[in-house]
Amino acid sequence: MRSKRINWSAYLYIAPAFSLALLFSFFSMGVSFWTSLHQWDPFTGGGRFVGLENYHRVLWGVDSLFWISLKNTSLYVVMMVVGMMVTSLPLALLCRKVRALQGVFRTLYFLPSITPGVVVALIFYQIFGVFGQPLDKSGTALGAIALMGLWSGAGYNMLLFLAGLNEIPTDFYEAARLDGANSRQEFWYITIPMLRNTLVFVMVMTIIGAYQVFTSVYVMTQGGPERSTQVLAFDIFMNAFSVAGQMGYASAAAWLLFLVIGVFVVIQMRLLRSRRIYDE
Amino acid sequence: MNNASLNGYRMRTRAMSFLTLLIMCIGAWVMVYPYFYAVGNSLKSRAEFTHDKRSLIPPRLSPSKLADHYILGKSDPAQEKLMKDWPPTRNYREAIIYGGIDRFLCNSFLYALVTTAGSLFFSILAAYAFARLQFPGRDFLFGMLLTTMMIPSVVTLIPQFLVIRSLGLVDSPLGVVLPSFVSAFGIFLLRQFFLNIPAELENAALIDGCSRWGILWKILVPLSKPALITLGLFTFMGAWNAFEWPLVVLSNENLYPLTVGLALFRDQNTQDWPRILAAGVMGSFPLIALFYAAQKFLTEGISLSGMKS
Repeated sequence: MRSKRINWSAYLYIAPAFSLALLFSFFSMGVSFWTSLHQWDPFTGGGRFVGLENYHRVLWGVDSLFWISLKNTSLYVVMMVVGMMVTSLPLALLCRKVRALQGVFRTLYFLPSITPGVVVALIFYQIFGVFGQPLDKSGTALGAIALMGLWSGAGYNMLLFLAGLNEIPTDFYEAARLDGANSRQEFWYITIPMLRNTLVFVMVMTIIGAYQVFTSVYVMTQGGPERSTQVLAFDIFMNAFSVAGQMGYASAAAWLLFLVIGVFVVIQMRLLRSRRIYDE
Repeated sequence: MNNASLNGYRMRTRAMSFLTLLIMCIGAWVMVYPYFYAVGNSLKSRAEFTHDKRSLIPPRLSPSKLADHYILGKSDPAQEKLMKDWPPTRNYREAIIYGGIDRFLCNSFLYALVTTAGSLFFSILAAYAFARLQFPGRDFLFGMLLTTMMIPSVVTLIPQFLVIRSLGLVDSPLGVVLPSFVSAFGIFLLRQFFLNIPAELENAALIDGCSRWGILWKILVPLSKPALITLGLFTFMGAWNAFEWPLVVLSNENLYPLTVGLALFRDQNTQDWPRILAAGVMGSFPLIALFYAAQKFLTEGISLSGMKS
């Protein structure tokens, strides 16, 4: 029996969170777009309206690092997605089979998730220095950073997959076994379809996260050697906060990156909506 | 023959489970190796590190040397001099003295604590309204809040900085924590949790004359403890690990959180890796300790899924 009376005080309850969200998300988006249309002057704090010139400079400017950053970032994303799928899902399948030590494994594999990214990058910088120095060569640097990204994220995604696997009713497998299915068929016709939501979720989150890779590049390579690890988030950061007067340019680059990520954001939104229906 | 094939089957499954365990152990070693590497090398003296960057145990602290000293009571002047010159804690002490790691740790702790408290408080309030109260535009506003979850931080980084600057909060602790006071995910999760709590209890309390505010804090919040603890832990971790935002907002070194402080410390001590690694170990230990203290809630939290961002 829920009262249908309108509680005007509800607005007071949501006011703090909502005003902050308004300020730091929606208003900020507007500011970002406004900035991207201006040539930003760091000294007066104001800007000169230049229309779409910043976008033009990002896309076609002689000194623009946008395309090389986009190429590197996309390569990194591909490495991360493929790497995640071939490590965290198989690890989850194996981990489920282990009886005695499962808790220990879960804990150990989770450790990287609770270690600050800066610390991880510092340790790996040194480890890479000892084992073949991949960060010093333009052909291997990005791969090394992806390897570190995998190390940081694989355990967490393994736990997500484990949670997904545990939700699959065991009768499905029993029924399949009665029908004479072998374990490969069980995997492709039960496990994978039933894990679809988790799979998409992990994949989309990996893509969105990887497109914004920053800390590891900032700490380990600063975009080098020979710009082989120049990624978009780093390019944007440098333009906005290291090079004077490039805030408008950086905002334009950020919007273009947002367009790229946007596709995956829409997928994620759809997924979230379907989850909500499922939960309620 | 039947027996033989059964034996073969048993052998195969045993071999399979052994193989599984082996792969998981190799994976576990890959996961913990960087920690062993960091701790081991943070204990090395500068000379030991220059001589050997790869080993995990500093020569002067090798088990045989320690056994000689502590168990057999052998006295070895050379070894004693090494230990005296470079006691195991030296790099840690120097990281604190020269790098101010203790101050960075304090800052991180404060930022994480305030962020957690603030975002939990605001999320509880908003989640309650969205779960239990009737008001015009409720679903629209909730949907709006959810969309903020989808905006990648790379887009909001620059304008958030501009907003914080126009509020005069650049280089202030409040500027570091304020944007993370709102957590759309937290509101989403808590609303979900509140919806699953039956409303009968509250209706009874309402009839007894309890206020809405009282109901929220005396009934709903205590009942949501597990969700609140999990959410709080994840918020704490996120705040502790934050790097890009504090790097952008702060320029006063005294206000740096650990992550930014570590990057600075690295730039100031480029040659002194044992010391840098000691600082890194100190920076990751608090969270690992927290994780152990709250393991139960965290593993439950994972199944609530997708918490990390």
